[in-house]
Amino acid sequence: MRQPIYNSGIPGILKSVNLACRPARVRRVARFGVHCLIVLLCTFASASDWSSSEKQLAQKIAAVTGPGAAALTIQNRSSLGKRDTEIVQNGMESALQEVGVRLVNNEQAATSIAVSLSENQTAYVWIAEVRQGTADSAVVMVSVPRTAATTRLPDSMPMTLVKTLLWSGNKPILDVAILEGDASPTRIAVLSPEDLSLYRMQAGKWQAEQKLSINHLKPWPLDLHGRLIPTRDHALDLYLPGVFCQTASAATLNCRESDDPWPLGIISTPSAGSSTAPLLAGFFTPRRNFFTGVIAPAIGKFSAAPKFYSAAFLPRDKYVLWLFAATDGKLHILDGIRDQISLTDFGSDIATVRTNCGAGWQVLATNADDQSGDSVRAYELPDRDPIAVSAPINLPGKISGLWTQANGDNAIAVAKNPETGSYEAYRLTVACN
Amino acid sequence: MKRTGLQWLAISVLLISALSANADTRPQYGGTLHITTSMSTSSLDPAEMPDSVGARNLVALIFDTLVIVDATGRPQSALAESWQSVAGDRGVEFHLRRNVKFHDGNPLTTEIVVSSLRKANPAWNVTAGGDVVSIESAGAIPELLQELSLSRNAIAKRDATGNPSGTGPFHIVDWQPGKRLVAAANEDYWNGRPFVDEIDIDMGRTFRDQMNALESGRADLAEVAPEQMHRAVSQRYELLRSSPIELIALKFAKEAASAQEKASRDALRLSIERQSMHNVLLQGAGQPSASLLPTWMSGYGFVFSTEPDRLRAQQLRDQIPGVPSFTLGYDNNDPLARLLAERVALNAKETGLSVQLNASATELRLVRIPLASCDPWSSLLVLNNQLGLPPIEAKAHSLDQLFASEQSMLASGRIIPLFHLPLAYAAGTNLRDWTVMPGGKLNVTGAWLKSSQP
Repeated sequence: MRQPIYNSGIPGILKSVNLACRPARVRRVARFGVHCLIVLLCTFASASDWSSSEKQLAQKIAAVTGPGAAALTIQNRSSLGKRDTEIVQNGMESALQEVGVRLVNNEQAATSIAVSLSENQTAYVWIAEVRQGTADSAVVMVSVPRTAATTRLPDSMPMTLVKTLLWSGNKPILDVAILEGDASPTRIAVLSPEDLSLYRMQAGKWQAEQKLSINHLKPWPLDLHGRLIPTRDHALDLYLPGVFCQTASAATLNCRESDDPWPLGIISTPSAGSSTAPLLAGFFTPRRNFFTGVIAPAIGKFSAAPKFYSAAFLPRDKYVLWLFAATDGKLHILDGIRDQISLTDFGSDIATVRTNCGAGWQVLATNADDQSGDSVRAYELPDRDPIAVSAPINLPGKISGLWTQANGDNAIAVAKNPETGSYEAYRLTVACN
Repeated sequence: MKRTGLQWLAISVLLISALSANADTRPQYGGTLHITTSMSTSSLDPAEMPDSVGARNLVALIFDTLVIVDATGRPQSALAESWQSVAGDRGVEFHLRRNVKFHDGNPLTTEIVVSSLRKANPAWNVTAGGDVVSIESAGAIPELLQELSLSRNAIAKRDATGNPSGTGPFHIVDWQPGKRLVAAANEDYWNGRPFVDEIDIDMGRTFRDQMNALESGRADLAEVAPEQMHRAVSQRYELLRSSPIELIALKFAKEAASAQEKASRDALRLSIERQSMHNVLLQGAGQPSASLLPTWMSGYGFVFSTEPDRLRAQQLRDQIPGVPSFTLGYDNNDPLARLLAERVALNAKETGLSVQLNASATELRLVRIPLASCDPWSSLLVLNNQLGLPPIEAKAHSLDQLFASEQSMLASGRIIPLFHLPLAYAAGTNLRDWTVMPGGKLNVTGAWLKSSQP
């Protein structure tokens, strides 16, 4: 496999790397503090969630034993960690004492209570086997809802990719657009295979405002992709394979069969309010999951690119460099004169973001990680080969969409969380280190 | 130590190189997926096929059910777009998905759905009204949705000669009963055309034949015997397995006729050394089990002890005049079944019981029972039916009642659970995005072949 070749140093990147290295001690201390805070918060959350289940199981045990002395053992057979097990053990001891069960050593007890912390597909299952004398043991149990997941701390590189969970739901999602509140979104549009939903943030939660059905005659392709683009006058354009929709008024969505090209590169034009100007458009196959390669307008002498899954661009002084994640698994880089192939580790989804870091424009690219889902990483192309400028940031599952937001400053990544089964949209922003 | 910019660049380059092997792409269209299976069937009619995981996999390629259950056991819409309970949970009304067509070109109608469900469930009261299909019963049927997701309830349109047509992701191109099925992608599939163009299924193959086919490149995907899983991993195939979903058990055809017979069965149950069989014969695959439902499904399976209790077994045996004897049957084509049966006979002999082996014996058999679904209640109810036990009366499907029902079924003495085994499949590295559900169902509708070009 061909490796990246460097013709010369890249002053901008070297500078930002060196700056990132200097205050290392300060950052380490701060990171440790944040880590402790997260651990502490998780601990509190877990403890408070389980008290009712502990009481419930204690009452069931007491119904068998009655008040009196008993020996308690707790065995963890589930995915609960050691710390959580200790918290449950302490909670069970308190709960049993509250219902009149006095805990003593094995030697002193005629009654033994063996609690197993188990689990099934949907919940934790806590089981108590109560043995009194030589009689057969009685079994009582409770079902305990599972608790939420964990957070990871970012690594250090010239830039840091930051993910913010924007939307999570049980229905598949194709794209999400931030309509109001750029830094802290207050209104969003969520594109699903069958509808477009608008949500407004109220009291810290997304409240549904409106749901508009997407009419389509033909079945969607299996690996469905869609694009949601805010346009003038707060309208929305929806691009789906073989279908184009537009919000005509607040209450309607007009859809028609269409092979109109999808906008690929978008740069917002502040003078026109929220409107956007596409740099390039590409035709999407109506029954498949890729672009045909036909583009408009032409990139220099190229009126077509190879069939591709996604595209990104990097503005240069006198031209725009276009990157295509092609269906042949390679990255094609078109500058108007040449089609250069780069053997990268890029996945199928790439997107451009405009930042105040490094060269000012970065390409975000997916990469597969079989262990913990896909990851996204920021790259720059000082010459013609990508150089990673951030550590990869993991998403909970396979990424099914990565689109630049209309303002160009961030991107939306959509993934399915295999643990919860929910579809999650994250806003990805680049922070300078 | 401070890192220089060049060092960071070098790290970046190394990371890029290291990750290159893992680069992923979107699914590609095209190609023929070659599958081998031990399953063999002379009919493709879902209402006539004997239940097995292999049969369920086959049915899911050609047919659809009204609802499906996801990996967590929750019902999801399929041919039924929505549904609602009526009359105090004694029935459910289903609204069919529109614009769905059978492979023969005819549209999906309520009449066809009614006819299909009546054939599979003669006792059900299934009616059609407008675009609604209603299923009613005399009592509550809380597990109806789970029941409808079973492959025998797949919707089939039968022509005058009884040949079934489905709405599934693939349509039949070539069918050689018991030997081979070739199916092509349904271009108009309501849930999206599959990525591969064709699936070619070679049936009735032993596990050894299947591994040979995989090694020689004649198959992309093959079944793996549980005791051979470690071998497949060492050969660098991608190995996926289900949760332990197949129950291996000793099943009595009838209830014990006397207290003495009941004591004999208990003595047999207490004499079995599951752990040594698990270590030696199963090579550590699956789990020894004394419960009907595996722990991953119920959460409490371990409460039923898998340890032998020789002393208690001897005490029970001593209460019985003469030497209690059993004749144990097993599937003669299943080498693992024979080995397990031999070990059961040996354990029984050590307790003073007599177990003769006769493959065709029917009174007591060593059986493999694929649990019906990942939903514990649904699996238990189907199992209860299969054993011919009195219907389970459970007003609320709580964890406590599930446990009590399973206890009651085990107390009947009709079945002695031995193990829960996973179902395992191996594939070459060119096959991507294939999945195995916890319940063993193989999902190749979303699979694609890396070598093919879109």
